Order: sequence, then structure tokens, then C-alpha cells
Amino acid sequence: MSTQSRTALLGNGVRRLTEPRTIAILGIACGILAFWLALPPWTVRSVGGPLAAGFVALACGIAVVPRGERKLGWWAIALGVAGTLGAIWLQTKEAETLDSILTAGVLASTLRFATPLAFAAMGGIFSERSGIVNIGLEGMMLMGAFFGVWGAVWSGTWVVGLLMAMLFGGLLALIHAFFSIHLRADQIVSGFAVNFLALGVTGFLYSSIYPGGIETEVSRVPNVQLDFLYDIPLVGDLLGGVFGWIMFAVVILSYVILFKTPIGLRIRSVGEHPKAADTVGISVYGVRYGAVVTSGVLAALGGAFLSIGFVGTFTENMTSGRGYIALAAVIFGKWLPGWAFAATLLFGFGFALAIPLQREAGISENLISTLPYVLTLVALVGLIGRSIPPAAVGRPYVKG
Amino acid sequence: MADAPLLELRGITKRFPGVVANDHVDFELAKGEVHALLGENGAGKSTLMNILYGLYHPDEGEIRLNGKPLRIDSPRAAIDNGIGMVHQHFMLIPVMSVAENIVLGVEPHSGPFLDLDTAQARVRELSERFGLAVRPEARIDSISVGMQQRVEILKALYRGAEILILDEPTAVLTPQEAEELFAIVRSLQAEGKSIIFISHKLNEVLKIADRITTLRFGKEVATVPREGATQEGLARMMVGREVVLRVEKPPAQPGEPLLVAEDLIVVDDRGLEACRGISLEVRAGEIVGIAGVDGNGQTELIDALTGLRHPASGRIVVGGRDVTDATAREVLDNGMGHIPEDRQLRGLVLDFSLAENLALHDFRKPPDSRFGWLFPRRLVQRARRLLAEFDVRGGGPETPAASLSGGNQQKVVVAREVSRDPRVLLAAQPTRGLDVGAIEFVHRRLVTERDEGRAIVLVSFELEEILSLSDRILVLYEGRIVGEYQPDVSEEELGFAMTGGLENEAA
Repeated sequence: MSTQSRTALLGNGVRRLTEPRTIAILGIACGILAFWLALPPWTVRSVGGPLAAGFVALACGIAVVPRGERKLGWWAIALGVAGTLGAIWLQTKEAETLDSILTAGVLASTLRFATPLAFAAMGGIFSERSGIVNIGLEGMMLMGAFFGVWGAVWSGTWVVGLLMAMLFGGLLALIHAFFSIHLRADQIVSGFAVNFLALGVTGFLYSSIYPGGIETEVSRVPNVQLDFLYDIPLVGDLLGGVFGWIMFAVVILSYVILFKTPIGLRIRSVGEHPKAADTVGISVYGVRYGAVVTSGVLAALGGAFLSIGFVGTFTENMTSGRGYIALAAVIFGKWLPGWAFAATLLFGFGFALAIPLQREAGISENLISTLPYVLTLVALVGLIGRSIPPAAVGRPYVKG
Repeated sequence: MADAPLLELRGITKRFPGVVANDHVDFELAKGEVHALLGENGAGKSTLMNILYGLYHPDEGEIRLNGKPLRIDSPRAAIDNGIGMVHQHFMLIPVMSVAENIVLGVEPHSGPFLDLDTAQARVRELSERFGLAVRPEARIDSISVGMQQRVEILKALYRGAEILILDEPTAVLTPQEAEELFAIVRSLQAEGKSIIFISHKLNEVLKIADRITTLRFGKEVATVPREGATQEGLARMMVGREVVLRVEKPPAQPGEPLLVAEDLIVVDDRGLEACRGISLEVRAGEIVGIAGVDGNGQTELIDALTGLRHPASGRIVVGGRDVTDATAREVLDNGMGHIPEDRQLRGLVLDFSLAENLALHDFRKPPDSRFGWLFPRRLVQRARRLLAEFDVRGGGPETPAASLSGGNQQKVVVAREVSRDPRVLLAAQPTRGLDVGAIEFVHRRLVTERDEGRAIVLVSFELEEILSLSDRILVLYEGRIVGEYQPDVSEEELGFAMTGGLENEAA
């Protein structure tokens, strides 16, 4: 490499460092740091540190807003102020209280709460990328939860439970697909109908098959014991069961399929411009059916995690809105598997934090349990701004 | 062209509810030939080609390829038989790359994975062979319309097309891009490809085609070789009567200035200066043509003059009153008539009835409404009168605007704007996408309105239109008026100014 081009490269790097965007991101990081400093494991008990970090955030924000980086700049300013105030407020809290809220357990349960969301979100991405809105994720999860238990009890093994969950989740998705693809029904209405259908079917079957609740021991998806991993602190907690592994695999596979294979290109083309796909000989209906059924199968896996992966039983409406949160994660994640997964982690964190906060801080249970949903709203309204959905999403395709 | 034809369509008939779109149409294509399919909008050109491409199925008739009967029941079957189509509305996915769009459906892959490198290499190779300059890795929404069209052509070639159907390919192109397209068509022809060229523009058909088949009302009128064909003759075949192609108009009698713009600076949606100091004056009784290649500030200038976008600086006076900061409604009420660039987006509310569309400006005033009450029957009465006066066909006052043909939709817009008796009439691309008959109507009407003493601004990308209608011509280039011409200027001279020739000369 010649000296000249090396200097050019170096100059490029420096330029990138001084770009408003970089500075704004730095500011945002400082704003978060201001708050974090007052938390375990640091638990800084003086105002100086957080104040300094907050001040840097504020300065970065003020510096870049006039230079065109409006949005990120304002975020840096807001986070700088909020972080500092939050840290000052935290000074009044006992270090032990904070310690018991933010444990390694929170991280583990973040992942546990995120797992079902992640499955459903990946399903949602497939469906939406093909152009079909899938509000029915909720119902498909519920089907998975019930038929997972049913299959596991009936056969005595969790493997059959999973297969049953996938089968019935896929069947429910097929109904949604038929209504929204062939009959060109409004996809939102069809999705809601499917949700109510699932609620009714699972509720009815549950009370008629198990009138006294599920009495037998349900075969649960086991934890995989990898000793060398379990010796590492945190990691052991994080990578719990088979489900965790499947989830990571599904997220990675979803990305690879959508963006690295011909099938993915076709799915995306159908969601963006179905007529264009049709004119090059791609079956729009076929791709959409495939994608929606896939989304049902994945959502059902998420539901099965709730029942046979985690608690080992079923309760009526046990998904309680997780399908909708998963859909929010899809949008938050801009229809990209990696980002959507990150979004489910954020929401999972909300769920996980709610438990110790409730226990330790003595805030009303009802109020605290809204935390993940508030996070959802804030995420949807504030952070992402405008994310651009697949162009043809929600629009039925009429051939010819 | 006496050889056995490569492709034959025999007695093709296609009926839609209430209309016979193709009535026993015969069409043949020889190898290496450019065969134009000419006809007005709604004559059945696109239906015929959609049948050939497998999007529609004919009720009667047969398709023969190399003498053998062929059933084409899907685009896939057409592609497999070497038939490719470039649709009038491009079938491209804006958020994907050129290469991705081209290989979609026949993707090169290694194992289960998409092989984008190979795709790009093949696209590059193909584009060099046929002289179709594209950037394989560019996203569709970041390239020009002309390049998008080349991508569409490459898409067909990539699939091994020997027969290319080009559906109204120049409708979306600038004059320069159209010239480039003609060069491409000739090079494809030289490579032995056969091309069906659908158009309703007489001059380009005469320029590019070996043979010309004319359709009218779904029936084949005639197939003639280019040699000996004239614009007048083709127009007669197409429309079924004598058409006056040249606009007959008495010399202009300019009066007082009705529209004055001074040093207009207008900013576009991206925050860039699209008009950089435009001054113009249009007098009563004259048509001022504004020529220029698309995207040189026309849209922003029109928006500013009609109050849809406020200029960053400068002054606009309509009929002696300063309307620089007026709202669009105030501008209209002050005597501005506006025939917008895009009649479907801005000219009409497609889901509304014609009566409602005709009342879009005046619905708030008596007699349309009084004390906040609308009188729908009065709207209908007026609509009935206007539809008759402006010869709008295909619907009555209650018909939704969406169900009319493009030409009739445009007549509705013209009717609405002209009937308000404006002092200034701004016509932006008033004949875009219209067929010969409708163009004739709009042109005549504009001249009539001029002679009534209105000041008319004509913005158009069609040089021919500018030259035949205008009394004075202003050339817009990069947001500035770079020259003023009399209508006897040559096309070459205008084209030179439109592409910045004068600017470069000065620099």
C-alpha cells in the first residue's frame, strides 16, 4: 500500500470520527453511562461521575444538532439529562436493594422471556416479508402452547409435543393464509379472527380434555448439560435448554434464508412487488402460503416454549399478548432478523426487570407489569422513527 | 421479409365483459425485424401482447412459433419459449439491486446459497455485449428511468429472450433517453433479436420500425412497410378519420402581462434549490412554452406558481395581484387555472364521481353549496353540461373518475380548469400518455383559450408539442431560464440548450 493511500485511509478514519453521527452516538452512550454508573456493579455513590458523563452527552448533543444530526442529537441531549437525573435519584437507594434487582438472574430471565417472542418475531418476519400482515401470531403461539402440552401428555414425550405444536400452529396459519391470500380478506381482520378462534379452541379443548387441570407430569423439553459451558458464570444461565439453542439457530437461519438464498430473494420480491415476481414466473400465492405457514410453525414453537419448555403446564390465554409484542419487535427490528431479535431481548428485559422491581421497590404489581408494554410503545413511537415496511405488505394480490 | 415468420398470431380474439378487446387479430414477426404495433389507447395493443406473454388467455385463435402451434398459459411459458416483455410500468423492485432484479426467478446459486457475484458478473457481461450500460450493484430506486428500462431489457435477455416486446417504451423517457433506446433497439436487431414495438407515437414508429401494424377498436386495420408510410396516413388508420397533426393557429395578439414571476428561488423536497432565480412574464393571449428535460426545476416552478409550494424568495404576480405568499386556493381564486402534471395523482380524485371532480374548486361557493350545505343535484347538472361541451366519453356525472380512459380523464381536468374562466392557465404535460385524438383535442382547446385572451403557460418535455403550440419558448436548465426562442427555432438548437449546451459554451 502506498503512503498516499494510507494517509487517505487515515484521513478517512479521522473524518468518520468527527462526523456528527459518530459524535451523536457517543453522546447517547455517555447518557446511558451516566445512569449506569449509579448501578451495580459500580454503584458509584457520588454525583460527580454521572454528572460528568451526563454533561459530555449534553455537549455532544448540542454540538451536533445544528450540524444536521437532529434526531440523534436530541436523543443524546435527552439521555444526558435523564441519565444524570436518574443517577442522582438512585443515590438515595441502598446498594443492596439495587444489587438484588440487577442480578445475573435478570439476564437469564431476559433470555427466557425473549425466547418465545423471538420465535414468533422470526415467524412474523417471514410472513410480512412475503406481504402478509400476521396479527394472528398471537393465536398461533397459543395453539402451539396448548397442542405442545397435549402432544407431550398424550405421547409421553416432548418431541411429539413440539411436532404437534408446529402442526397445529401451521394449520391455523393456513386458515389465515387462505383468508388473506385466496379470499383477499383484510389481513388485520383475518388475523384477529384467527386469534379469537385459537382462544376459543384451546380454551374449549383444555376444559373438556383436562377438566381438573393437567394432573400428570408433563414431559418437558430438557436442558442440555454442557459442563464446560456451565462452569463459566453467566453463560450457563444464559444458554439454558434445547429451546435456547433452537432459537439462536432459527434467528441465524432466518437471516441466511431471507438474504442469502434464492428462496429469500423470492420471498422479499413477492412482498415488495408481487406483480414483478409474477411476471418472471414466481408463484406469488405459493410463496405467500409458504411464508405464512412457516410463520405459524415458528410462532407455535414460541408458544410451546411457554408451556412445555418452561412451566410444564397450560393455562387459558397463556400467551397473553406476546404475539402482538413479537409483531412490534418485527417492526422495531425493521423486518430484519438480527434487529428484531435485539428488540425481543429489550422487551424480554422489560419482563425480567418487572419481577425484582415489584419485589424490591414495592411498586404496584399492576403498574410494574405494564413495563414491557410501555417499552414497546416507547420503542415504536420514539426510537425507530419511520421504518419502511415491505411495499406490498397488507395488500392482496390479484392475478392478471 | 419474405422468409417464414418467426412468430405468428392467427385470429386472436379476447373478450372482456362488455367489450371485445381483440377481434380476430393477425400479427406476424420475422426474425430480426422491428415490428411496430400502433394504435390509440384502448385499441387492444396491450391486450394482444399480454396474450402473447401469457398474462391473458385468448378466447379464440392460435399462436405459432417457428411454424409450430404453441400454448402460452403463463409468463413462465413465454419466457421458456424465448419471449420477453418490457412492461410500460416497470416490473422492478425498487429496494433491490439491478443484479437481483435481473436474476430474480432464475438465480445463480452455489448449493442452497444465492451467488450474487456470479449474477453481477453475468449481468455485466450481458450489458457489455448489447451496449446496455447499467451498474449491477446499484439499487433500482437510485438509478434513472432510462437505466431502469435497460435493466428491464436485460432481464428479458438474461432469460434468453429472442423476441422482445417493448410496451410503450418511450412513454416515460426524455427525448435524449428515447434516442438512446432507439440505438439499443438497433443493436439488438443487429444481434438477431426480433422486436415488437408498441406505441401510439407516429414519429418514433416511423423512425424505428420495419413494418407497422395498426389496431383500431380491437381490430387489425392494416400492416404496412415503413417505406412509403407517412404520419398522416398512419394517423388516419389509427383514428379512422383525418387528423390535423399540425396545430392551426392565428398569430398571437399578446396583451397585458397576466403572470409575472421575479427571481424565483424554490427549494425542492430534499432542501436543494430546484429553481435558481427564475423570472418570466406571460401576457394575455399568448402561449409560453417551457421546454426542458425532466427534473430541471419544472415541478417546483409549477408548484410555486400555483401556490402549492412557497418560494424561498422572489415574487409572483397573477393578474396584477401579488400572490407570492398566497395559499393554493387563493391563487386559484385569483384567476389561476392548473392542469397538473399527473392527472391521476393531482388532477382528479379517482374514487370520486365526475360531478364531484368537476366541483373540486367551487364546491364551497354558491350555487354548489350554501350555508355549508352541498347541493349534489347542481353539481350533476353542471357536470352534464361540461361533459357534453368537452366531449368526455365513457361515463356520465355519476361515473367514478377512475373508470375513464386517460384521454377522457384529461378532458375532465381541462373542463374543470377552463370552465372557471381563469386569467392564467398553467398546463403541465397536458398530453402525457394521451392518444392522437385526445392530443388534438387538448391542443386545439389550448389555442382556443389563448385566443379568448388567457395567458397560457405550457410545460412539456415533448419538443414537438412545445414547438407547435408555443408563441414564445423558454428553456429551463438546472433551475434557470437559459434561453428564449421563437417557435421557428430548430429542434436541434432547442435540444442543445435543454441539455446545458449554452451553459457549457459560456463557461
